Amino acid sequence: MSKKFVSGILGILAALILGALIMLFQGYNPITTYGALFSYSLGGLYPLAITLRNSVPLILTGLSASVAFASGPVNLGQPGQLLIGALFATVGGLYLHLPAGFMIPLLLILAMIGGALWSGIAALLRRLFSMDEFITTLMLNMIADFLTYWAISYPFFDQSSYSPMTPQIDKAGWLPEFGNFNSNILIMVIVFVAVWFIFKRLTAGYEWRMTGQNSIFARLGGCKIDKNYVTVMLLTGALAGLAGGLVVMAGPHRFLKGLGANYAWDGVMIAMVANNDLVGTLLYGLFFSSLQSGALGMELITAVPSEFIQVLQSVIVLVVVAGRGVMDVVMDKLQIKRKARERTA
Amino acid sequence: METIIEMKEIVKVFPPNVIAVNGVTADFHKGEIHAIVGENGAGKSTLMKILYGLEPKNSGEILFHGQVVNFKDPGEAIAAGIGMVHQEILLIQEYTIWENIVLGIEPVGLLGRINQGEARRNVQIKIDEFKFNLNPDDKIAEISVAARQKVEILKLLYRNVEVLILDEPTSVLTPQEIPQLFSELQRLRDNGKTILFISHHLDEVLTLSDRITVMRKGKKIDTVDAKDTNKKDLARMMVGRDVLFLSKREVKKPGPVVVSIENLTYLDGNKRKRLDNLHIQVRAGEIVGIAGVEGNGQFELVNLIMGLSHPSSGQIQVNGKELTSANILERRKCVSFVSQDRSKMGAAVKASITDNVMMTHHRLNKRFTHWKGLLLDYRYSRQFTRQIEEQFSVSMGSMDNPFRSLSGGNQQKVILGRELLLEAPFLLLDQPTRGLDVGSIEFVHETILKMRSQDRAVLLISADLEELFRISDRIVVLSRGKIVADLPIEKATVDQVGYLMLEGENKAIEQEIR
Repeated sequence: MSKKFVSGILGILAALILGALIMLFQGYNPITTYGALFSYSLGGLYPLAITLRNSVPLILTGLSASVAFASGPVNLGQPGQLLIGALFATVGGLYLHLPAGFMIPLLLILAMIGGALWSGIAALLRRLFSMDEFITTLMLNMIADFLTYWAISYPFFDQSSYSPMTPQIDKAGWLPEFGNFNSNILIMVIVFVAVWFIFKRLTAGYEWRMTGQNSIFARLGGCKIDKNYVTVMLLTGALAGLAGGLVVMAGPHRFLKGLGANYAWDGVMIAMVANNDLVGTLLYGLFFSSLQSGALGMELITAVPSEFIQVLQSVIVLVVVAGRGVMDVVMDKLQIKRKARERTA
Repeated sequence: METIIEMKEIVKVFPPNVIAVNGVTADFHKGEIHAIVGENGAGKSTLMKILYGLEPKNSGEILFHGQVVNFKDPGEAIAAGIGMVHQEILLIQEYTIWENIVLGIEPVGLLGRINQGEARRNVQIKIDEFKFNLNPDDKIAEISVAARQKVEILKLLYRNVEVLILDEPTSVLTPQEIPQLFSELQRLRDNGKTILFISHHLDEVLTLSDRITVMRKGKKIDTVDAKDTNKKDLARMMVGRDVLFLSKREVKKPGPVVVSIENLTYLDGNKRKRLDNLHIQVRAGEIVGIAGVEGNGQFELVNLIMGLSHPSSGQIQVNGKELTSANILERRKCVSFVSQDRSKMGAAVKASITDNVMMTHHRLNKRFTHWKGLLLDYRYSRQFTRQIEEQFSVSMGSMDNPFRSLSGGNQQKVILGRELLLEAPFLLLDQPTRGLDVGSIEFVHETILKMRSQDRAVLLISADLEELFRISDRIVVLSRGKIVADLPIEKATVDQVGYLMLEGENKAIEQEIR
């Protein structure tokens, strides 16, 4: 754990230094830029609230990818599952009118069903026709993209607007806000704890983890790996779908074009940086969210364009992921040297 | 005698902290057969791989013809004149012998075309020169393992190596093929080649070699002349104490039939018969050994018993329970299984030791879970891991460390512990001592014998005849998917079983034995 933590912090520091060098090369002042970046994402209650709110879809899709990758299935369908989840929650919010106490949980469940349905198609294709989920989930992303675009342009189109979007959902389905803080954070925390518990403490999670590490070992050990495969696909689809539902319910309260933004792909990236570790996914999710929410402030104060954040993100991914491998090699080398010296002494 | 290779103070550390070769100094003479003996893990293969440029050394010096050399890869070593034949044979099955031999250094004609006539002729010249009984136009897929090994040797001779390193060349051969290899190696020596050969079979080492270097735990113990030593002395040097070559089996009458395999036939995807009408019975308190050269149906038999594949016909029953088409969990209730490959089948090497120990128990033993099997009881798993640690004398750091941090012997002990504590009536062991040192092998054998005295039925698949003869009650010989003999141990001899492994299809011999 401590080694992972150290290599993560070192990786981020190295990436920030590399980012500073890039800025210097471009003629910007790195200190004021980083200052602006972090004061607009972490400096104060309002920036912090924005950072936290924006971290929710990143962390949930990241969890989806982490759980899937660590259990074996290469579910890369988070973008599509997020959109379908968002659509389900929106449609529910448009036609159902219940008190908030029932409405919110119901819409969240609908979002999860939507996501699970979408990943379930991929799971079904795998079980019936041995089609690789690696391909089918990617294909389903595109179908989801156009399907939701059609849905918000025709059947659920808001007649009063000029671009594709649905009307707003029933107010009972809006997530309550506490001051600047949106309650989507609370839901994310509850889900995180639940997923962590399932993955680390339940028998099912144990079987998933073992299958992800060595599926023949798990199979010979008596794990029902086919059933587990389907469960993991459904669960990770539901997580991405939930992310979509929360985006609608915490933000615009309607489904509008481009709603999914880049959340899901960033989530997959976060899972990779975190090496599919759940706590790591949470921490990197928060960090990447702070970068993204600080980007606008940075652009406001300095001349550095907000796109620079994408450069910085990429550098972090490369440095942290590559650094993990390098770190192992270096540590092994050091140990070998020490051992060889011990021998001669 | 002229010294051709000198190795000085060679050190090799494998990460994280295994000293594989610990300051070894050795010299090899021109025109000698020099055996390097030691237990598994003694560092003999690693030392040779360093010489051959396959593994970088951490310190030390190698002199070849008095010059310091530092081969970065096997290509450089071969170019300088040192070649190595590995345990696994690396040839292209669909190519002929001569194509395999010239591969990489083909004589090229106009427009880059391979000059086939010349290539074939050159290969034939080499075959004649060394009197190898090979036809250059035979395909690799169609010749025996012994012949393939010859092709590997010829491949190096074709590249004019002076020094040939052979890594356990006899392990893939049957007892009858070994003398032929030996006479060929002796002929090569008489032609001035130097032969370094790795082995842990003392008899063959004593017959073949001129000098013997003994290694133990990464250190060189001594180099001796073969004519001045004997098996007992060598064994003592290898192990560091006297070794008993005797079986410790006590006489015991087996109980009722536990495992009953009948008419078991398996056709693979290409409709080739991999297993042909097998009948095997194992009684309670009986160890049945399955002898055979690897690849004669053992793998398929294990897969069928464990449920990884399904038989074309036939039945498998344990204690009267039909398992032929049961799911794996159902089978695990009555079968404990130790696989031959720990990292592929026996464990998840990156997961913690505890996680590895719980496998299967988490489904079959209620104490490992709460809430009707939903929630894991890690406290109990840890207690259980502690139990295995003590009962099977495993040396482990923390049980939260990854499984791969354990040494090979300790890994096998953990797996044995997990499987034996399942308390299943049937114990399926697939090469349970492969890659272990002598101490661990003894421990495993003792454990298996203890299971026998607890009236478990044991099916032991092994390529090591010494092991089979040491602990089995009966030996079943498997050859090309058929059972060619089923003998009580008192009536079997090593030579006879070795012969049956090779000549299994010969009906006349089978009858002679009956």
